[in-house]
Amino acid sequence: MKHRGKGIGCMWYPIGFTVAANPSAATVKVNEDGTATLLTGTVETGQGSLTVLGQIAAEELGISTEDVHVVSADTDATPMDTGAIASRTTYVTGNAIQLAAERAKNILFEVAAPMLGVRPDQLEARDRKIQVKGYPQSALPVGEVANHAQNGAGTPAIGSASYNPPTVAMDPETGQGKPFSTYVYATQIAEVEVDDETGEVQVIRIAAAHDCGTAINPMLVEGQVQGGISMGVGMALEEEMLFDDQGRQINPNLTNYIMPTSLDMPHIDVDIVENFDPTGPFGAKGVGEPTAVATSAAILNAVYDAVGVRVPNLPATSEKVLAAIKAKRNADPKRVSAS
Amino acid sequence: MDEKVKVADRGKTLEDLKQTDADLRLPSVVEPAHFPIETLAPEARQQTPAVGQRATRPDGRLHGLGQTKYIDDITFPNMLHAKIKRAGIAAALIKSIDTSEAEKMPGVMAVLTGNEIPVNSFGPSYQDQPVLAYERVFHAGDGVAAVAALTEQIAVEALDKIKVEYEPIEAVFDPMLAMQEDAPKVHPPHDNVYATKAIKKGDVEKGFAEADKIFEGRFSTQMIEHVPLEPHASIAEWDGNGRVTLWSSLGRITLGRADISRTLNMPINKIRIVGTVVGGNFGGKNEITTEPVLALLSKKTGRPVKMIYSREEEFIASTTRHPFIMDYKTGVMNDGRIVARKVRLVLDGGAYCSWSETTLGKACILSAGPYNIDNLHVEAFCTYTNKTMAGAMRGFGAPQVCFAYESHMDDIAHDLGIDPLEIRMLNAFEEGSLSPTGQVLQSVVVKESLQTAAERFGWKEFSK
Amino acid sequence: MTDVSMTVNGEERTASVPPETTLLTVLRENFFLTGSKLGCDVGDCGACTVLVDGIPVNACLMLAGQAEGRDIVTIEGLANQDGMHPLQQAFENLASLQCGFCGPGVIISAKALLEENPDPSVDDIRDALSGNLCRCTGYTKMIEAVQDAARIMRGESADEAA
Repeated sequence: MKHRGKGIGCMWYPIGFTVAANPSAATVKVNEDGTATLLTGTVETGQGSLTVLGQIAAEELGISTEDVHVVSADTDATPMDTGAIASRTTYVTGNAIQLAAERAKNILFEVAAPMLGVRPDQLEARDRKIQVKGYPQSALPVGEVANHAQNGAGTPAIGSASYNPPTVAMDPETGQGKPFSTYVYATQIAEVEVDDETGEVQVIRIAAAHDCGTAINPMLVEGQVQGGISMGVGMALEEEMLFDDQGRQINPNLTNYIMPTSLDMPHIDVDIVENFDPTGPFGAKGVGEPTAVATSAAILNAVYDAVGVRVPNLPATSEKVLAAIKAKRNADPKRVSAS
Repeated sequence: MDEKVKVADRGKTLEDLKQTDADLRLPSVVEPAHFPIETLAPEARQQTPAVGQRATRPDGRLHGLGQTKYIDDITFPNMLHAKIKRAGIAAALIKSIDTSEAEKMPGVMAVLTGNEIPVNSFGPSYQDQPVLAYERVFHAGDGVAAVAALTEQIAVEALDKIKVEYEPIEAVFDPMLAMQEDAPKVHPPHDNVYATKAIKKGDVEKGFAEADKIFEGRFSTQMIEHVPLEPHASIAEWDGNGRVTLWSSLGRITLGRADISRTLNMPINKIRIVGTVVGGNFGGKNEITTEPVLALLSKKTGRPVKMIYSREEEFIASTTRHPFIMDYKTGVMNDGRIVARKVRLVLDGGAYCSWSETTLGKACILSAGPYNIDNLHVEAFCTYTNKTMAGAMRGFGAPQVCFAYESHMDDIAHDLGIDPLEIRMLNAFEEGSLSPTGQVLQSVVVKESLQTAAERFGWKEFSK
Repeated sequence: MTDVSMTVNGEERTASVPPETTLLTVLRENFFLTGSKLGCDVGDCGACTVLVDGIPVNACLMLAGQAEGRDIVTIEGLANQDGMHPLQQAFENLASLQCGFCGPGVIISAKALLEENPDPSVDDIRDALSGNLCRCTGYTKMIEAVQDAARIMRGESADEAA
């Protein structure tokens, strides 16, 4: 007989490193036609970070994502970056890029101010224009300003900057301190169906509500959440590296190491919880790793709700779930499930 | 053959080499381009403001067209292919390594062992990992010798001809046993427990004394592989100026360059790393693997050298997710408020430290959950075992402790007869809450995330 | 060495290769079509999926000799000078690929599905992609993209059913 159940997993997760400084540096070059080139030392490892970082540079310069070309990951050419780790790219590298873009923008403001007859601090960059705050009709195309900066004023609009999250070292005895600049929060709720004859668990759906501060690109945030959940499903139910008694792996291949396929994945509803972190670029924090954190807890709590058994050691394979159901039946023969 | 190119004499004639090359030479055909030269950028990429747009990825288009060049898609003229021999024994002293038969094979261009690596150790916290094991084997996936050959197949065949003599030594695989005083030491003379961390907030014993009820539970998690669809991959090319360029699937090139500089004992400005598009990382490509080996093989042969991990190597020779053993003790009031929690974490670090310190730190800080707990004591230990090393993996210990604290939370809720959503709402952090390390938290939305997910799921309406 | 000839993306191609050479190796190393990927070499991951006479096949498991005289379609054969295949466009629009290494295989499997079933259900799509492992995406946006592409190929607009 099949039983349904619901379970919650709730979590928090830090953005950036614990043990050491983890700076990023960036350079933003505004070309003479108002497009821009961003240099970053981070590596695109699939998450879409280069697109997000381009959006951050574009936002600061008041231009579109398409107007920014991102050059990355060449130690000869790009500034240092601590790397695509610790869910730090949007926050740390993003902050460095925003600062670098601001410096390039300030050069544009210096050049545009006399052209528009105002002070630089009265200007803003929006919709591909440098315009007077509150008087958008008084504006110049960003390309015209950038061209004049480079070929008239002789001050090409280039900015470089770095950022390192402010932290306070933890006390070695008590652990008290400020190990991270900021954290994100999330809840995932799973519905499962458990077959009490086979122990098989099918994850039916997961509702995931994630905080990432401002979502620079909501579509890519959703992709991170969906992918993190697939890792969580594998951790909860399927994946395990096994060793023989000599310490050699038994299943070092994808035939016998079972990871989620399209058939194992639940329906997923992603909600991005509205939030703004004052320390992040345009309020953004991060999203990569936290998506994989709460899933296995939610699934195992749903199994508990469905058949009343707690599996305390992962993965909860069919064999383990069935053994737990049998043990429970033997202890309490009158009741098949807890609810 | 160019006289200036350094090729070690391994008893084979130029005729042998030519024949091997001839066997491999294949007719070339010009491939017509089918793909569109250019299509328009989608609307979301054109709009301002840029932040908040569902902007598409230019790299995503190339992935779908099959145009993205991962390492395995890149070739250079005269490029060689390398393979690494794995120990296959979890703990041993290496008595001898005989590569002479392999070197005699036609098509084998160079062989490398650990003694030829200028500084044969690396690691982000402790440099406890040999690039190629030379005196001692710490886990079965350790590399003991590398071969560069004209084809991958020849390199694989040459590995079989390398003879390594081992003296087996006592190994330890269970982290709880490894923590005991009389356990065999994985890295003598050092203790097996190589990292510890503690967090103390309030008075946990006083908290337990005041609690209405005490709950205890032990939870454990497994070792997990990252399974990037693209295995670890690199190409090295040593040039006439003594500079080496590495195309690598590494996810952190700045720190990787420092590691390579250290192992090769050469200045940073002689090393260039080009990070190619990475076919999946998840923390598994956070450290150097074969890069120093390929650099030295390229130096020996004067040719570019490529190596791609096989799927098996990806499992046995790359980092994994730490298995955890987690003991939780929690004091609660009858209304569900948590007043005290004690947590003990044991992490199985495998053969090398890798990113264990970071994992341990994050796991410690996060282990109480996103909840206000005035009295908290967390202690955590990471121990060596003679197994595949654990390292960084998406979540750095957080998925493990979340599984434990959230399972524990539901056990408590069930016993007290409180709805799992309500008990979390009761204890959740709020704006300005103090974290376990005493940090004032900002932009906190735990309750909002609980409510949003509950509403989307239909938590209250759900019926089985 | 043995001579093999086959039609690849509409062109007659021949190569002279050792008899143990796989179709994947010939495609990648002889014909320079590197879109099809080697992920596991034993048919578990599907990153090397190509169409052989319209049927999705793991090219790492098929010998080049077995492809003699057959019609092969790789990811490079989907787009033409007029534009991308609707599947490629939909995968781009929804950011369905992350690291992208599995992408060519996934899109080829999806193409085979849509040629047989122009209006697949979500379960049909899950079945069709079940031989293609992806570690990044959770498959969700891939399934949505296949649905969008199917609508376009049926002459509807992508978001009509949404």
